[in-house]
Amino acid sequence: MVFTSFNFLIFFPILAVLYWITPSRFKWITLLAASYFFYINIKPVYAFLLAGVTLTTWLFTVLIAKTGNEQHKKLYLTINIILVLLPLFFFKYFGTFNNEVFTLMQAWNVRWPLPEMTLLLPIGISFYTFMAIGYTVDVYNEDIDVEKNPGILALFVSFFPLILSGPIERAGNMLPQFRKPPAFDYDLFVKGLKLALWGYFMKLVVAERLGMYVNAVYGNVEYHNGSSLLLASLIYPFQVYADLGGYSLIAIGVANVLGIKVIPNFNRPFFAGSMSEFWRRWHMSLISWLTDYVYTPLSFSFRRYKIWGIVLALMITFMISGIWHGAALTFVVWGLMQGVFLSTEALTNKRRSAFEVKYRLNRKTWYLIFTMVVTYFLFSISQIFGRAENLDDAFLVFRRIFTDPGPLFLGPPATFINGSIALSLLMFKDFTDEFYPGRFLLFENPGKVVRTISYSLVIILILLIGILDSGQFIYFQF
Amino acid sequence: MDKTEILEKLTPIFRAIFGNNSLVLSDGLTANDVDNWDSLTHMLLITEIENSFTIKFKLKDLNKMRNVGDMVETIISKLQA
Amino acid sequence: MVKKIIINFLLVSATVFVLDFAIGRTLRYYYFLEDSGIHYRTAFSINNTTAEFLILGSSRATHHYVPDVFEERTGMSFYNTGRQGTGIFHQLAVLTAVLKRYKPEVIILDYAGDFRLGDNTYARLSSLLPYYREHEELRWIVEQKSPWEKIKLLSEIYPFSSQVQQIILGNLKFNKIREQDDRGYVSLHSRWEADIDSVDNLPKFGLDSLKIEAFTKLIRMAKEAGAKVFIIRSPIFCKTTWNDDVEICIRQSKAQGVPFWDFSQDTLFLNHSYLFKDPGHLNHEGALIFSGIISDSIAPYLKR
Repeated sequence: MVFTSFNFLIFFPILAVLYWITPSRFKWITLLAASYFFYINIKPVYAFLLAGVTLTTWLFTVLIAKTGNEQHKKLYLTINIILVLLPLFFFKYFGTFNNEVFTLMQAWNVRWPLPEMTLLLPIGISFYTFMAIGYTVDVYNEDIDVEKNPGILALFVSFFPLILSGPIERAGNMLPQFRKPPAFDYDLFVKGLKLALWGYFMKLVVAERLGMYVNAVYGNVEYHNGSSLLLASLIYPFQVYADLGGYSLIAIGVANVLGIKVIPNFNRPFFAGSMSEFWRRWHMSLISWLTDYVYTPLSFSFRRYKIWGIVLALMITFMISGIWHGAALTFVVWGLMQGVFLSTEALTNKRRSAFEVKYRLNRKTWYLIFTMVVTYFLFSISQIFGRAENLDDAFLVFRRIFTDPGPLFLGPPATFINGSIALSLLMFKDFTDEFYPGRFLLFENPGKVVRTISYSLVIILILLIGILDSGQFIYFQF
Repeated sequence: MDKTEILEKLTPIFRAIFGNNSLVLSDGLTANDVDNWDSLTHMLLITEIENSFTIKFKLKDLNKMRNVGDMVETIISKLQA
Repeated sequence: MVKKIIINFLLVSATVFVLDFAIGRTLRYYYFLEDSGIHYRTAFSINNTTAEFLILGSSRATHHYVPDVFEERTGMSFYNTGRQGTGIFHQLAVLTAVLKRYKPEVIILDYAGDFRLGDNTYARLSSLLPYYREHEELRWIVEQKSPWEKIKLLSEIYPFSSQVQQIILGNLKFNKIREQDDRGYVSLHSRWEADIDSVDNLPKFGLDSLKIEAFTKLIRMAKEAGAKVFIIRSPIFCKTTWNDDVEICIRQSKAQGVPFWDFSQDTLFLNHSYLFKDPGHLNHEGALIFSGIISDSIAPYLKR
């Protein structure tokens, strides 16, 4: 089941009622059952994997908490991290690795029959694996108490709002809420519904529509000229923002309706004035996870090398981030580019700050806009590697953009008109929230009439120009 | 070394790393209150502190330092050890 | 608290209901007022055509069968009901609606034989949503889309979701030039320049038995209505080997005694890229030649 399916619209209200009438002590059981039901609805067998990851994590964290021996603690930590990572590696990377080796051997004329592997990636595995590892490390570091009840831990790992695409939550935030469910909070309940509604708007109206254009162009790179490829590349970051950001909002909103608070995932990323600020606003839960569990230990152990130690740690962290996004060389390049951007900023940070202070640039609107545009362009360039099917395609995109302009392919009127309306609405909301907080309020308007009409209009917009299923398509004749 | 002495010794380190000559340290000060105090400069800060106090932190210590007060506590415990 | 939630819920629902009704009804009115474009052609196929000679299919039907050629050689009135991006269920729906009104004499199903499991065929049944209310005979087909269509169709806007621009266009004069059609046929006018592709290892797909059933049902219905039926796989600009789909087409048409002609690997077309607009579609030049071949081949079967 996914949030955008009609099944979910039936499943969730029933669950919400069930949840709120369940006595507090048993609420976690209702949620756990619902989470597994939700997951099994996608692909039953993979639920075993999910349960397996939960079980080893429970076992080894209990062991870590029990033993006083530091050596043993470290051993249990290592074993569990390896056990939890194994399925991720197997399902996500083995196929790619296998094929790369195969290609390499062919290039050297070695014939060795490797079995061809095409595995379906268990849904959500990248997310719940990270959550389980985070929990294990937290217990090891004594940041949180171990959870003795395997059911509560299972709920943390499988919690249905988060399992498909995050936010990647922390045990320290979630476990207490599962152990002692917060009482019904009307404001949080309503806030959840609002977030979910806006999330649906972002996902169905903005992301899916922009995606139709981007897919039509990137799906046939060789048949498109530089202008269309440039437009698609500039749109793609907005598509991803609306897609993952929208999906995260639904997740957060759904959790809030159940009284559970979840960390935010995006904070109006396109108003960031530097890449480091961008990465504090974009996919925040992932970056904060990587900071705590990868970057900090790495940079700590490289700290003798001062700033170069930090640069190295950054490069490795973003390499891992890239590979986490997808098992392909394109994502390695993508990760390296982020590492280079951030390292460059770290190395030039002092001079940049001094320069800005000297000319008082931070108060000048044109300068702020300039930094935002540069940041957005840098990210868009890196996203060409995030979107292209392979490195050849990515390089072709760059070549075309610079050498092969031509008439712009816009797709049918519905695509660019609805796409523009949708994106403008989203950006208008983000713009006013960023620069005029407390003004132009719609969902939060003090007037009940305005609020009611706003909700209704967003629902109508979703019905009217949202993409409700794959019945919509671009009839693309090359 | 007591708390005030440590704070006195920390102040120039903080000022140099965050490029802010008017920065005043207090127990409740956190990364959110200081410009440029992010995960990158944090590690530079840690290294500088280690060098000037000639102590060695552990990774676990880092997680426990939520603000300047915690940091001073940790430094004191390291100096006593 | 519960009361407050319910009141607010009802308030929003009422507002949404009113807006949905007003907007949806307006869209429906203008949808059926269109006089050019894709909606118009589908509406005409389902509600109006009385042509003796009918083409069923997807975009490869729309762009491949030229009315003048067929009318001239067969002396029958002709309509091309092809619609881009549709599959066998849409074709079956068009035929079902047509047979409720009259019995055509010749039916060509242009079919690429797409029986694969799990593509967009079902989602794209959205092409039929506007007809759900008036056409009881099509409801079971629309309901293949998902188990929830009955509920979704409580919304008046839903059948016209994402169709606003097309509905506006279809009501404009200039669209008659922009999306000009001749009895359903839409001509394409550029030439394919790139080299021919060849696809050897067609990926294996699971077969969708519902689609195969729809395919046989369509042939049976057409035959029972007394029409001469032909299944044709029109040219593509791509060298490829047969896949399971084609085998099924051959088997089914043989079983029902209906000719199946495969032009997909005909060298007349494969060797001449200038007859194509793109690898999947002939241009007007190609369509004229193809229509000529088809009408000549059909002639002997039509002893009136």
